[in-house]
Amino acid sequence: MIRQLLQLAVTGALLALTGVGASLVFGIQRVANFAHGEYLTFAAYVGLMLNVALRQSLLVSTVGAMLLTGLLALGIHFALLRPLRGRGLVAMSLITVGLGLMLRDVVFLVAGPQIRQYAIDQRAVFDLRLVRLSPGQAVALLVTGLVAPGVALFLARTRLGKSMRAVADNRDLAAISGVDVDRIGAYVWLLAGALAGLGGVMFAAVQGTFDPNLGFQVLFLIFTTVVLGGIGSPYGALAAGTVLGLAMELSTWQGLGGGLEARYKPVLAFTVLILLLLCRPQGLFGKARVL
Amino acid sequence: MDVLNPAFWTFVGVIAGIYAILSLGLYVQFSLAGLPNFGHVAFMAVAAYTMAIGVTRYALPMATAATLGVIAAIALGLVLGVPALRLRADYLAIATVAGGEIVRYLALNLPDVTGGPLGSIGLLGPGQIATYNEPWQRLLDRLSTALQVPLGTAPTRDLAMALLVWTLAGALLALFRGLERSPWGRVLRGIREDEVAVTAVGKNVVAFKLQALVLGAILGALAGLLLAWQIGVFSPDDYQPTLTFYAYLILILGGMNRLWAIPVGAVAFSLLYSGTRFLNFFPLSLIDSGSRAFLRLFLVGFLLVLFMAVRPQGLLGNRRELLLEK
Amino acid sequence: MTALLEVEGLSKRFGGVAAVSGAAFSVAEGAITALIGPNGAGKTTVFNLVSGFLPPDRGEIRFAGRRIDGCRGHTIARAGLVRAFQAPRVLTRMSVLENLLLAAKDQPGERLGMRWLAPRRVARREREIRARAREVLDLVRLHPLAGAYAGSLSGGQRKLLELARALMVEPRMILLDEPMAGVAPVLAGELLDHIQALRTERGVTVFVIEHDMEVVMSISDRVIVMDEGRVIAEGPPAAVQADERVIEAYLGRLAAPRPSAPAGPRP
Repeated sequence: MIRQLLQLAVTGALLALTGVGASLVFGIQRVANFAHGEYLTFAAYVGLMLNVALRQSLLVSTVGAMLLTGLLALGIHFALLRPLRGRGLVAMSLITVGLGLMLRDVVFLVAGPQIRQYAIDQRAVFDLRLVRLSPGQAVALLVTGLVAPGVALFLARTRLGKSMRAVADNRDLAAISGVDVDRIGAYVWLLAGALAGLGGVMFAAVQGTFDPNLGFQVLFLIFTTVVLGGIGSPYGALAAGTVLGLAMELSTWQGLGGGLEARYKPVLAFTVLILLLLCRPQGLFGKARVL
Repeated sequence: MDVLNPAFWTFVGVIAGIYAILSLGLYVQFSLAGLPNFGHVAFMAVAAYTMAIGVTRYALPMATAATLGVIAAIALGLVLGVPALRLRADYLAIATVAGGEIVRYLALNLPDVTGGPLGSIGLLGPGQIATYNEPWQRLLDRLSTALQVPLGTAPTRDLAMALLVWTLAGALLALFRGLERSPWGRVLRGIREDEVAVTAVGKNVVAFKLQALVLGAILGALAGLLLAWQIGVFSPDDYQPTLTFYAYLILILGGMNRLWAIPVGAVAFSLLYSGTRFLNFFPLSLIDSGSRAFLRLFLVGFLLVLFMAVRPQGLLGNRRELLLEK
Repeated sequence: MTALLEVEGLSKRFGGVAAVSGAAFSVAEGAITALIGPNGAGKTTVFNLVSGFLPPDRGEIRFAGRRIDGCRGHTIARAGLVRAFQAPRVLTRMSVLENLLLAAKDQPGERLGMRWLAPRRVARREREIRARAREVLDLVRLHPLAGAYAGSLSGGQRKLLELARALMVEPRMILLDEPMAGVAPVLAGELLDHIQALRTERGVTVFVIEHDMEVVMSISDRVIVMDEGRVIAEGPPAAVQADERVIEAYLGRLAAPRPSAPAGPRP
């Protein structure tokens, strides 16, 4: 029971953090970024390189991955997404699909399709009397426990954070109010990239083993988190990620009338996403926008 | 196989023809009716699985099983379509990918129904190898014999298949070209431009969109059946979302608003895709043949981005029309 | 003078705001009726409700004696009540002629498959539609632009195209939402002539939202005044102009005589 709650907390926290970054950029771009999952893949493999090849600790690898992924996201924003803005919803969606394919297959080409894992002793266990944690879970809990409040505070208290929220929420209004939307947009991408970087390494660490399909597998979970929380609402994403993580882990709980088998968890996420888009696209916390 | 082996190119020709039919289905939904269906591959999957289950488990004649496959795809189209038609374009894209993935995940995780990860081989349960393709092979043999008279020699099965597929593709393209230029097609094109205006002049927009969706489902089902017959075996991995984007790339390559450009796009795509195995010069020779698959996928992604960014009218399209994008 | 459109107790709320509450009026057949009122009075909402683009919360709408509240936009258009939009919605990547051809009624070719099942009927109707389209194009003097992309038309030309398109549906009644807004004076006179010709030459009933009081006074037979979601006055233009409640409604809002933003949400 405690084990499940823990797993739930970890999944929820990771989804929440990754979701915050995604929600901000989706709010600014106003188009779904199908390549967002591949930022996580990229991060997981950068982390792998740092951790296994360069023998850095997991913590250092995570920070390195966050930095590099942030820069990648920023670079793609400047090189590709910003110049092509305003092409139309479907055109942008197709472009992000293409981008995602490119990123994922570069990783496949460079790193190979074999299953990987970080240089952490998977059999080691942190015994905390009530519960036992795998190293991946321990690091994930620690890092998200530090980063999540940090991000929340940053968004709530700092000027940059508030500007980010304003632009993600209502770009035109922010622009009229004198916010330099372009500059803030760049910072948002940096933050979203860094958070995706964190998510990528942590998901890989928690899962234990991973391959370049990691990002695509998580993509829809991210979409669901973002839509559930309301596009452009980072606090919504925080809450939604936690709720989604909870729903997915609880759904497999025996106590809930037999429970769903673990392999159906993605189907649950997909179904929730479709239902949301159909019935309540503004999610739990967004405003009902005229689409 | 080396580059001059005709058998290889016949095979490529068959695949190109099948993709032309698949892309035509997408054309009706997207280029005509303006519905960005990112889950088109699900029609292929549903039709192929229904057909294979019908033949292997219920010993249905192939024609019946195939028809059931098409009906199943239509049903899927209606189930997804009726609620989804009210969605904004990119939400529809997300919802349809999610829908397609649900189909694939269910196929992967319901081994009693779909054979699970083994795919069509596993349809009769563990320990038995299920095949569905015999009736189709016999049909092809009869066709080969029949073609011996006009052609002089009996063509190989693949060649017969290629002729069959391209004849069907040509007929379908002509049929849909007629539809496109008919008053029905005109209403659809109007819906693509501004469905509120079209409603205001008395057209039932939802009904038209559903018709486009169903036609797209039928074509997707046909493509799925043909592919299943050509390869002889399939599994859930063959119905990844990437396939839908191959079809989009084909539409984009040819020019998104030109129906006759579809075969051009399909052939160009198939050449590009199969041709990568022959690119044995540096630096590509560094990549072993196993990894060529990833190179091909990278290329698909690259071309999607390149064309959408730089030349959205494709190889053959009309720039002027695109300049009037709303 | 029979009433073609009758509205009773029409109400619509958006969130907490009552855009229209208990509106009641009738529009006489064969006349030009103007709907006026300050910003936010609910005029465009009434148009949206009457034309089926918004479902009403309450109320009855009768067109030619039949209830149409709750019917959808396309059904009402086919019944003969056709609307034009304030910002013209032309089909940009289709030609001007195609914009009109599409709007025609009863083309069996618009049903899937009819092209092969009844090709002669389809072809015949298509010829009829083409002839009518050219006639309408001549009427609005857009004939030289028949083959041009509708997207290349100017704002005023688009308004004419919208009007022409509405005519193609053979309406009994046309709803015009601020037809004079944003139209160059040169074209405005022409537009006015066309609107009046609708009534006199074709017997089409016109129901128009307008802010330009000169236009309203000069062409309308009857005026309906709304304020804050309710109908506050109804009658011939001169009487309404002198009505105290109407004056108070306008002055009380300090509304400019020709505001630019439309009232109410769009469809």
